Amino acid sequence: MRSRTWRRRICLVLAVLMASPGRLPGPEKERPIVIGCKQDVEGTVLAEIMAQLLEDRGFAVDRRFSLGGTLIYFEALKRGSIDVYPEYSGTVEQAILQLPGRVSHAHMRELLGARFKVEMLEFFGFSNTYALAMKRTTAERLGLKRISDLKGHAELRFGFSNEFKNRADGWIGLKQAYRLTAEPVGMEHALTYGAISEGKLDVTDAYSTDGDLKKFDLVLLEDDRHFFPAYLAMPLVRGELNDSAKRLLEQLAGTMTAAELQSLNQSVQEGKSLRDVAAQFLRSKGLLTGERQAAAPEVAERTIDWPFLLRCTLTHVQLTFLGLVAGMAVAIPLGALVYGLGAMSRPVLYVTGILQTIPSIALLAFMIPLFGIGARPAIAALFLYSLLPILNNTVTALVSIDPVLRKVSVGMGLTAWQRLRYIELPLAAPTILVGIKTAAVINIGTATLAAFIGAGGLGEPIVTGLALNDPTLILQGAVPAALLAVITELAFELLQRVVVPRHLLQKHAE
Amino acid sequence: MSEILFQGVSKFYGQEPALHDVTVAFVDGVTTAVVGPSGSGKSTLLQLINGLVRPSSGTVQVHGKPIDYDRLAELRRQIGYAVQGTGLFPHLTVERNITLLARLVGWNTERIRSRAQELMERVDLPWTFATRYPHELSGGQQQRVGLCRAMMLQPLLFLLDEPFGALDPVTRNDIQQEFLRLQQSEPRTIVLVTHDLGEALKLAQRLIVLDRGRIAQHGPGEEVVNAPADEFVRNFFQTQLKA
Repeated sequence: MRSRTWRRRICLVLAVLMASPGRLPGPEKERPIVIGCKQDVEGTVLAEIMAQLLEDRGFAVDRRFSLGGTLIYFEALKRGSIDVYPEYSGTVEQAILQLPGRVSHAHMRELLGARFKVEMLEFFGFSNTYALAMKRTTAERLGLKRISDLKGHAELRFGFSNEFKNRADGWIGLKQAYRLTAEPVGMEHALTYGAISEGKLDVTDAYSTDGDLKKFDLVLLEDDRHFFPAYLAMPLVRGELNDSAKRLLEQLAGTMTAAELQSLNQSVQEGKSLRDVAAQFLRSKGLLTGERQAAAPEVAERTIDWPFLLRCTLTHVQLTFLGLVAGMAVAIPLGALVYGLGAMSRPVLYVTGILQTIPSIALLAFMIPLFGIGARPAIAALFLYSLLPILNNTVTALVSIDPVLRKVSVGMGLTAWQRLRYIELPLAAPTILVGIKTAAVINIGTATLAAFIGAGGLGEPIVTGLALNDPTLILQGAVPAALLAVITELAFELLQRVVVPRHLLQKHAE
Repeated sequence: MSEILFQGVSKFYGQEPALHDVTVAFVDGVTTAVVGPSGSGKSTLLQLINGLVRPSSGTVQVHGKPIDYDRLAELRRQIGYAVQGTGLFPHLTVERNITLLARLVGWNTERIRSRAQELMERVDLPWTFATRYPHELSGGQQQRVGLCRAMMLQPLLFLLDEPFGALDPVTRNDIQQEFLRLQQSEPRTIVLVTHDLGEALKLAQRLIVLDRGRIAQHGPGEEVVNAPADEFVRNFFQTQLKA
């Protein structure tokens, strides 16, 4: 039968894709200490310092860097998907505990322990508070030194990172405290400095220890009304983490000044290897025992790392593919079922339609409480995104089968299953295939966001590139992702030409 | 005993009666044509026989027992069914279209092949057409394939719903001749719905004239034409034969 060769071809394609050697991060046998950090340079530096200190004393460490924003991290910590990540006292107070006023650190520790079984270890010693930054030349020309000077300068364009723009201890509180009226745009933090230096923006949020301030020649405006709380950095750990690891991390207490951090950050931003920078810091503080050989210094940081890129691409294909196959496995039978039920079809399509409208990053965040971090929540999210196009096309194709054919197939004595198997699904196949193609292309795009929840893939160079302000690195993720999408599109065209007899595409024309 | 028997069968679509209290025994082994103006209930009557339509009241008997509506697929396989516009499956070859049912009920390959060849030969389709797809055939050829498919399992009953309606007069005449030859070689009980009185008289021995869901007259073709039972039947014949 024709459908048999068709099936054989599909199996072949599946086999080829399944055989790809990429490896998905899965559950480990003996669990190492999982360290995370938000996607900013400072977070990465602090996390790497902690990781090397722990490794130096014989702990196994799993680095899960650059996943996303505060809430994704805190959620992961609460759930035990990660054990440690660097956090700031101000963020704990405002974003995590959502306290209305200023409270003592002791009180914060108590609340964290009681509510979430999470502990704040001793502070590293520096404060990285929020600040507003401007180009030095603009600030000098207008004579702006303090935040209160901004009042009355309606011509200035404000652009903030989305997190800052929407936080009570960020722009929301700041504009009330200083009675500012500007309408800021929200954008990715890594892009704001570039925008300022190109004259597209005038004012943005910055961190006081940011190594890029010097590079872009930016000045900080003085917080003359003392609006911003202190942002003292410390390791935030799961209460269940073993005590010796906690004690070891507290050896870092009070070892870092704001000036030291700024220079560490700048070194990384200038392209020095993260490992080297962290190792050098630990050595200068006499914290490395040297029992374990430090990793060989990494060189040539900014050239294209092909094996890494290949690994990312394979992971990306695998995430996309698994999400897609799961989507097919559910959506096609569900489509047939919905078609059989008739009246049920609308509500089911509405529900999957709503799933489609959830912004990708939000959907990924929703998956964390259910699946933790890593590949599983990403595949789950991609699976959900695959449902609508495939389900929609399956139902539409089945519903629009020529009524005469349906009548004949019933009248000649085929059972419901036989009609579906031999008549309806083969006739619907070309339209279903288009649905699968749509889902595949959407998934390739969405999978780049999977890096935010630690699933890897081509989002990894993009996210890291954004954090490091490195367009080359961003392109290393973006270009292969775009190519993958184009190749997928072409591959499906080809598949369609091979498996779908041409006359079925125009069956309604007769 | 009659293969097909209607006893007080009515069918309502909402409030509208499509068939009203019809009682009729079809004569076995011959072709009965059902004629009447459009909307008179011809197709409804036909589809009551293979369970595509269920009666609102009354019973339909096929093969001597009332239809079991839980086992329709089984019944339908014993009834050949062909419709206007052929209804061939576009994704299957001619041979697959003809033999689909035989494969599903588990005939062996040898039997399937010889039966398909026999049928195609009888309707003048060269065996080389077996591997073609329906869209590669002319309308008349498609119609012949449709007939072969309906007769594959050697059904004792055969339902034809305007099967030759969409064909040009020449092709239609050819197929009608083949139909008569088939009926001669494998006689069976046939119900033919047509709006064309000429076709009805040519192919069928008996006529049923329907008037708004009721049987106006039922009898041998010649008899009905020569002695219309009422004003309606006479008018129907006059308009039909003039056209």
